[in-house]
Amino acid sequence: MFYIHQHSCISPQQTFPVSRIDELSDAVDKKLQVIEPSYEQIPPGMLRRMGKAVRIGVGAALPILKGLPAPDGIILGTANAGKEDCVKFLNQIIEYNEGMLTPLNFVQGTPNAIASQVGILTKNHGYNITHMHLGLAFEHVLTDADMQITENPSGLFLIGAVDDISVYNYYFEDKGGWYKKETVTGKQLYDSGTDGSVAGEAAAMFMVNGNRTGAAAKLIAINSLHHTDAEVMKKYLQQFIINHLPHGEKIDLLLSGENGDNRLRVFYDAAEEITGRETAIARFKHMSGEFPTATAMGLWLCCRFLQGDEIPGHMIKYSKPEKGLRNILIYNNYKGIQHSFILVAIP
Amino acid sequence: MNRIVVTGIGVISAMGDSVAENRASLILGKCGISLLDMFPSKFSGSLPVAEVKKNNTALQEKLNAFEPGVTRTSLLALHAFEEAVANSGLSNNQLSDFNTALVSGNTVGGMCLTDEMYEDAKKETTGSEYIASYDYASVNMYLQQRYRLNGNINTINTACSSSANAIMYGARLIKSGRAQRAIVGGADSLAKFTINGFNALHILSPEICTPFDINRKGLNLGEGAAFLVLEKESDCPGKKIYATLSGYANTNDAYHASSLSDEGIGPFKAMQQALQSANLSASDIDFINAHGTGTENNDLVEGTAMLQLFKTVPPFASTKANTGHTLGAAGAIEAVYSILNLHHQELYPGINFKEPIPATGLVPVKTYQQKGLEHIMSNSFGFGGNCSTLIFSKP
Repeated sequence: MFYIHQHSCISPQQTFPVSRIDELSDAVDKKLQVIEPSYEQIPPGMLRRMGKAVRIGVGAALPILKGLPAPDGIILGTANAGKEDCVKFLNQIIEYNEGMLTPLNFVQGTPNAIASQVGILTKNHGYNITHMHLGLAFEHVLTDADMQITENPSGLFLIGAVDDISVYNYYFEDKGGWYKKETVTGKQLYDSGTDGSVAGEAAAMFMVNGNRTGAAAKLIAINSLHHTDAEVMKKYLQQFIINHLPHGEKIDLLLSGENGDNRLRVFYDAAEEITGRETAIARFKHMSGEFPTATAMGLWLCCRFLQGDEIPGHMIKYSKPEKGLRNILIYNNYKGIQHSFILVAIP
Repeated sequence: MNRIVVTGIGVISAMGDSVAENRASLILGKCGISLLDMFPSKFSGSLPVAEVKKNNTALQEKLNAFEPGVTRTSLLALHAFEEAVANSGLSNNQLSDFNTALVSGNTVGGMCLTDEMYEDAKKETTGSEYIASYDYASVNMYLQQRYRLNGNINTINTACSSSANAIMYGARLIKSGRAQRAIVGGADSLAKFTINGFNALHILSPEICTPFDINRKGLNLGEGAAFLVLEKESDCPGKKIYATLSGYANTNDAYHASSLSDEGIGPFKAMQQALQSANLSASDIDFINAHGTGTENNDLVEGTAMLQLFKTVPPFASTKANTGHTLGAAGAIEAVYSILNLHHQELYPGINFKEPIPATGLVPVKTYQQKGLEHIMSNSFGFGGNCSTLIFSKP
């Protein structure tokens, strides 16, 4: 359990520097791409050399670090960061037949480049790690932060996740059958009845510690599961709620990671069955698109709602939570095998 | 006592296909480095590398691993994983228990398939069987599916310190009650990707590498994998215990994307904080398995940091002179070697060294020694300034 304080999100919607999520930006060519800011805090010389993932990651991190004591660690998650540079470098290897190559793409292709760039820019010598386990990369960021704050109760940590759409990862995922063949817009995503989703990307960052004062939200619990059987997932989720939802409380909102992929519907239906009629349901993948660390944007949205922002109508699937939103469950499924369970509440 | 103990180890490297073969090679001071031979490349027959002398078909047959899309990195990982699991005596039920975690690191993943990936990125039709294998997480996803693992599973990337951090993370999952046992380690295979990358950075040695030597010319790349089974001491009465994982730390040098600061702030802090976490003082350390890549930058900086932390630098050596730099696997392979040091109470001859770096004057252990050893430190530093230190102790 820990508290979330400052937070930021660069996403395909108007989330940075101010949030205007009631206006929905639609996918173009089956891609929801981030609206990039001007990055005033990044030195121009460095900015020019940064790939998009590093740019949006560092760009989202620096503003929330400003004016705070140096964090005791930087804990980030990503599945795709660096892939664009890696493939560029691989292509050079083949095209120049292993000739004299420049190392820029190779060095930038290391997925820990975002955490390390934030470390270099802020001269931070603390704990520094990048979790990369696909659709659970951000879940391990939360788990790691939870352990860090238990180990060091006065610690302050910058945590977050970044994934970008690159030419190549889009191509590989598309070939793998994870994007829709047909064009869909807005909430049509959920009613298409076909396989696949739309591609997405975002960077979301949070300052977290063990101190309730002034917090935006409380991360009550985080858990994950690898399994292909919805029945096993259901039992696991039920137990997760029993173990962690405070006695006498109910889940006011289920933030569902539903992404319009017909193959995953069984899991999201199972989650709705567990939370039941008492719980309102909202969805966000029509805003973020699908990518492995999408739950980071989901958590950012939860922070806004717990701080009093209204949930826009385009997100609501079922009912609207009454006034006094207290507990939110995020359930997400990545590719039918990786399950994420996050319980977040008012501080 | 809730100490984290090591109950199983497995390793495959240019030094051999098992823990026993690796130890025998270490005792003899064998160097696993020879000219690139296992795959066609412009560097074939000219670049010194440390290869596992088994091709993919041989590994697949030995491991009965014919799943579509399986990569060399995954095969090496599977080889070491199976040895560690058997060594610890874990049953299939224990493997698929919700309380068994798997944490590993790598830096190449499926990108060992340089040519296949190039083809897949060009083709307009459907992708190859490898389409889902290029990801770093593909190694753990493969192990997860093969053994139906149900617990916490994580893939970590901090470049060349990835598997040291995987070991730390696994230990912390156990300490926090999120796992009862953790299978932790790392794997990497030699690839055109890393060979050309390190070549472009001009840190590959054209000769066999000579860590901590005045005339060192860079590193040699290697390949391999290693896994450790970590458990709580109280959970394994009567079980063979190789060592305790008594301390660890992860810090950042925060200086440059691909080189260490002159003062070695990151390496110094990693070693210092690992001592604090183990509740030990510098004089308690009996041996350091150094990062010691053989590059101009690393060996000078690591030596500088060691001199700053230790009044008298303890005996040390770099086994990268034997195994090459196995990148994401290095932290785990060197953890296994440190555990062997402790378990057999012996130090292995550091090889390829002639003359010390004048600025440090540090001379690695050069001969095989039987010696009382209580605490061993193992360093791993990576691109992005990611520095990690582990301390293993005699149980």
